[in-house]
Amino acid sequence: MAEQRTSLEVIAPSVEEAVERGLEDLGLSADDVEVEILDSGSKGLFGLGLRQARVRLMVKQSAQPADQELTLLERPAEEDLEDLSFETEIEAFDLEEDEPELPARPVFEVVDDENTLEIAQAVVQELLARMKIQARLTVCYGEPDDPKDRAPLLVDVRGDDLSILIGPKAETLNALQYIAGLIIGKEVGHSVPLVVDVEGYRARRTQQIRQLARHLAEQAVRTGRRQVLEPMPASERRLVHIELRDHPEVITESIGEDPRRKVTIIPK
Amino acid sequence: MDDLIAYIATSLVDDPTQVEVKTLRRGAQVIYSLHVAKEDMGRIIGKSGRVAGAMRTLLRVAAAQEGKRAILEIAEPD
Repeated sequence: MAEQRTSLEVIAPSVEEAVERGLEDLGLSADDVEVEILDSGSKGLFGLGLRQARVRLMVKQSAQPADQELTLLERPAEEDLEDLSFETEIEAFDLEEDEPELPARPVFEVVDDENTLEIAQAVVQELLARMKIQARLTVCYGEPDDPKDRAPLLVDVRGDDLSILIGPKAETLNALQYIAGLIIGKEVGHSVPLVVDVEGYRARRTQQIRQLARHLAEQAVRTGRRQVLEPMPASERRLVHIELRDHPEVITESIGEDPRRKVTIIPK
Repeated sequence: MDDLIAYIATSLVDDPTQVEVKTLRRGAQVIYSLHVAKEDMGRIIGKSGRVAGAMRTLLRVAAAQEGKRAILEIAEPD
């Protein structure tokens, strides 16, 4: 029975929020669950966590479910790994938001004369199947970080218990995105900007980084001191540069060497 | 899991016919030895080993799903 306990994984800006949200979903109180912190997230500056926290709530056996919601959350009894069935939707121009809590992404109309969407979906599906991960995929063109860029291919992965697919500091997600991007580029014949997201993780992080950039710019101006962000990968540093490039009172600069390279925000 | 490595390797190389994944067991560890054509070595290693590193990350996750530990070795070309 111990192995069969109901558990729920929650990703939120802070551990406290994740626990709170999970308890709400389960309809249980804090005494009814054991909390395992999978990733406490980055410490965060001024309430803006730089990395999301992830927790797993395990329902204690003595806990009385508040309603039948619990049975819905139980994992399916047969987890036949041989029979990986994928439900896939390709939505080029029409993204149905069936999970309204996530920020809606504008979907860009792009001429897709090379079947890039189908190729991208097939490649990510092949990789996940061989990693024995069950998931649903949605493929579309997303909004570029910089309006001057090509619209990136966006592969959104959804399913149960996918924190393994994110990994520490999104290491696994980045590896998947990198390999999938190379394979798709090879099949299409030229490089293709690709973003692989899991459960809206990247979308939320992008929002946070932009918010943090604006907040620190304001602080730089107010204090007259340069603000230094924590080390981030190139794609995330770029978000800060783009967010603040038209800012009248600050300039941004990256310093240090990868993987410790970080953005500084300098008052003019 | 060898099919994960084989899929990635055959998708990235110019000569997929030369891709071979050998499985070796050393105690509790499974070692996958990947062999590709000499001309394709760069494509599966990548700049600063980035491709090989990403393959190892994905392999680790795939292995963990089965409670195993797996190692990817890239064989010296003949």
